[in-house]
Amino acid sequence: MRGVMTDRSENSLLLLPGLALLILGFLLPIIRMLALGVAGPDGLTMSVYAKVLGDSFYLGIFWRTIKLSALITLVCALLGVPLAYIIARSGPRLRFWLLVIVVLPLMTSVVIRTFGWMVMLGRSGIIPVGLRDLGVTSRAVSLMHTETAIVLGLAQVLLPFMVLSVLGVILRIDRRLEEAARTMGASFFGTLRHVVVPLAMPGIVAGSLLCFTLSASSFVTPSLLGGSRIQVLAASIYAAVTQTLDWPFAAAQAGVLFAGIALVLIPYLRLSGASRG
Amino acid sequence: MVKGVPLAARIMAGVLIGLAGLLLLAPLVVVIGVSVSESQFIVFPPQGFTLNWYRAATTSPAYLSAAWISLKLALAVMVLATLIGGAAAVALHRRALPGSDLIGGLFLSPLVLPTIIFAIGMVMLWSQLFGPVSFLTLVIAHTVIALPYVVRTTLAVLADSDPFLEEAARTMGAGRMQRLFRVVLPQCMPGLAAGAFFAFNISFDEAVLSLFLRTPTLQTLPVQIYGQLEFSPDPTVAAVSTIMIIATILIMALIDRFLGLNKVVH
Repeated sequence: MRGVMTDRSENSLLLLPGLALLILGFLLPIIRMLALGVAGPDGLTMSVYAKVLGDSFYLGIFWRTIKLSALITLVCALLGVPLAYIIARSGPRLRFWLLVIVVLPLMTSVVIRTFGWMVMLGRSGIIPVGLRDLGVTSRAVSLMHTETAIVLGLAQVLLPFMVLSVLGVILRIDRRLEEAARTMGASFFGTLRHVVVPLAMPGIVAGSLLCFTLSASSFVTPSLLGGSRIQVLAASIYAAVTQTLDWPFAAAQAGVLFAGIALVLIPYLRLSGASRG
Repeated sequence: MVKGVPLAARIMAGVLIGLAGLLLLAPLVVVIGVSVSESQFIVFPPQGFTLNWYRAATTSPAYLSAAWISLKLALAVMVLATLIGGAAAVALHRRALPGSDLIGGLFLSPLVLPTIIFAIGMVMLWSQLFGPVSFLTLVIAHTVIALPYVVRTTLAVLADSDPFLEEAARTMGAGRMQRLFRVVLPQCMPGLAAGAFFAFNISFDEAVLSLFLRTPTLQTLPVQIYGQLEFSPDPTVAAVSTIMIIATILIMALIDRFLGLNKVVH
């Protein structure tokens, strides 16, 4: 084989199938989709985008999507950051089981997890009935088709992403830094605030950006829990593709989503690149 | 835990674990509970105990055909993603080609780019070029999103491997193919195995691409469940879902065996 094949051609051959798949089967469809939103009968047109961005109904959907995604990200950060710290600092046995609790839901189909929330949030579900029994509400009020349902459901779906993003960074923090802070007289919570949180910040920011983009683009959970009355952007895109069959309109909405996501993702890629290298 | 953790912090940690565990596991527990309840309505906590819904699920032609499609699809995706992703990971690990970082980013990009955007593009492009979508469309689409998982697990294993083994084999006169299959491949094995199970799991549970690329005769299990949930959920859906949860637990145990859950986090 010597002389026939160089290291370089071996590496190229190994990469070739994957590159071909990603260029033809991933990049090309995305480019095609973005192109459809600006394709007019004669050349480029922004008319479809103008229709999407000029309609107060769709602006309302954008606003709701941003608002809910921010809320979901906040819930995930509040629960996920401390949980990641606990996982990082617990013994091997507890750490294993905590990882199981985080990874098992992550690997379970979103459809199934959303089904669980439908059972719990419906009129006879344990959450409305529990709220009535606790005296919070006078009768069991279904929480289905509310924004609360979407926030709860998506927080459950996305919490593992936050935990894993933050955990990866916390595991690389030198434990001796915390010990040094304690020795020098800092309290436990003081150490968390002034040592751990600042060092974990790249993970927290990366996890938050990931949660935000994933919740802004998810539609299975919001469609099932929010119904047709409380639409978010991705659900509206799905409806345009499958129900009204207005593809250019769907493409323009997806273009708006893509632009929004790109704005958020560029700092994410910088951060995750920096924390790895 | 770090020595000298105050009681208040321990209590808060306990409460937090309880809260997060409840939020994360409650939906799964509820679905499992509904699947064994005697009531023909969706109720939780379950009333009585029965396995009738499992009989109904495993004899329903709609679920059986969906399960068959999902299984074939997941197996095809597992094989393709492992071969393509494993080969790419070996080349990416060597970092010998120009633009390795950029190419590495491309291979991981399906993880961060929202699936819905890819799904619409896939439907549009495929129907424009080849007409109606088919099983092959789903195989390609699922392989794309499963690829990053194989690349990541294989790269994680290679990062811990001995870089001089391949060099030693070369010095001792091993040929290119010998080195690849006798030295590099065995080193990759745990990562490839874990990546393969991830790829199976991703495809088997995936709903977004499968919903966009569905046809009346091409419905995967998650699509079938989604349709039932939109229309009229009954305990049979819960039984099917529980079977899928059990499959997920098995796959997770296999990944833990081959790679270790700790490694997945890395």
